[in-house]
Amino acid sequence: MGLTEIYNQYEKYFKGNILPYIKCNNCNYKFYYPRDMCPECGSDNLSIEKSNGNGKIYSYTVSNKNIWAIIEMNEGFKFYANITNSGTVDINKRITITFINKNNKTLPYGEIQD
Amino acid sequence: MISGFAEAVYKKYDKSAYELMNEALSKALDMAGIQRSDIDGFISTFMPGIFDDNVYMHFFTSQICNYLGINVKYMDSMEYGGPSVLAAYYRAEKLIKDGSADNILLLFGGKGSLVKDRKITVDSYEKINDGVTNTPYKSLLNGYDNINPVSDYALAAQRHKKIYRSTDEQRAELAVKQRINANLSGYSMFTGDLTVENVINSPVISDPLHLLEIVYPVDGFHAFIVSKSAGKLRPVKILNYGEAHFTKLPVEMDDITLLSASESSGDFREKIKKCDLYELYDSFTITVMLQLENTGIVERGKSGKFIENTDFKSNGDFPLNTGGGSINRGQPAYMSGSVLLYESLLQLNNMAKNQVKSANRAFINGIGGWSRSHSVSMIIGE
Ligand SMILES: [Zn+2]
Repeated sequence: MGLTEIYNQYEKYFKGNILPYIKCNNCNYKFYYPRDMCPECGSDNLSIEKSNGNGKIYSYTVSNKNIWAIIEMNEGFKFYANITNSGTVDINKRITITFINKNNKTLPYGEIQD
Repeated sequence: MISGFAEAVYKKYDKSAYELMNEALSKALDMAGIQRSDIDGFISTFMPGIFDDNVYMHFFTSQICNYLGINVKYMDSMEYGGPSVLAAYYRAEKLIKDGSADNILLLFGGKGSLVKDRKITVDSYEKINDGVTNTPYKSLLNGYDNINPVSDYALAAQRHKKIYRSTDEQRAELAVKQRINANLSGYSMFTGDLTVENVINSPVISDPLHLLEIVYPVDGFHAFIVSKSAGKLRPVKILNYGEAHFTKLPVEMDDITLLSASESSGDFREKIKKCDLYELYDSFTITVMLQLENTGIVERGKSGKFIENTDFKSNGDFPLNTGGGSINRGQPAYMSGSVLLYESLLQLNNMAKNQVKSANRAFINGIGGWSRSHSVSMIIGE
């Protein structure tokens, strides 16, 4: 699996409201930021998986009224994203993933589940 | 050994970065009592925007040596961000020892104000320039709203609050105690009375970090000359040294309050505790707290209480950032490493205004790079 293939698949999944991640079939490490090999064991036996879209806030910060967070997904990988609703944000708050298109680019965001 | 050192720092310098670096160099040459023609080694660093707004300078070390009229047989560049100068100092000592050069100039700084005027920092330059990247994953990170690098440290501060119950007041108290030292240093840019309330009531830049817990980017260069002998200065040596590089993105780490400093300091923890003064990288208050914990000075999670209970003055039980730190000096071109080294050398040479009595050993720790990747830990002294 080459990088272009991974990014194309990510884009397709984003447009279909699916959060992808990469699983190493050798050591089982799960990661979000694309590489063509596993950063833990070096194996190129990778597959792109679909997250169930449920996770929690690992940490967050508010600047200019935007919430910037590290989101930890149930599958065990973490990634950066903004949180869409302001509600009562806190570490460990449950979130689901939602998708927003800005400037012709679709990206995943977190949405707090109160 | 360092035979000459100097700074040239301004809140906003109207002339070019070349004139500013030459001012620092000229002062350092005066102190060392050597000529420009005696310099035969050169180490510096480049970051986008800090040299007269240039995003990139092709063969920049050559361009600088050309301008300054320096003919060297060794030149190099360090890429660790803030602590680059500390790593350069260590390398220069080794180069002197193996005979590669006799007088190596470490020249670090630039003009932070030009980058600040664009409402970005060197670490967020990629947001305004397609040709600059901080990570291989730019397309998955650009498009969101954050104010990195402040947001990155804010995430660590928030997590620290939650896990270890540290408080905004404890971080504010650190800023207040550093200000007390700044008021005595004689060279700090930001001085005057400061209270915990002042810090807490200053604008929240990236929750939980307030304006008065964050360094202010300024224009400045520091020049350090490393030679075979210390000349008129005290023969200060690097007694212990370590560097570590955690290149994983914080988001891919298990614990964002664990820094590369835990590794760079790992070989000489007990010696760190016995130093006479401590200069810890203070890009933000939380940076100092994380270093206190990650270098083993206090247990993980205990830095808040330590700040409450400890006297950081030059005659206190734990002299910390005795010159006021870069929060009060101003941060030259987004790098505080030189501020730490400069104050340590003043102290060890008994030249400081806020002098620690019988200062023989200084512990310096620098943190830098995108998302805090790099740490340099060193004890210098005699
Ligand atoms: Zn693997």
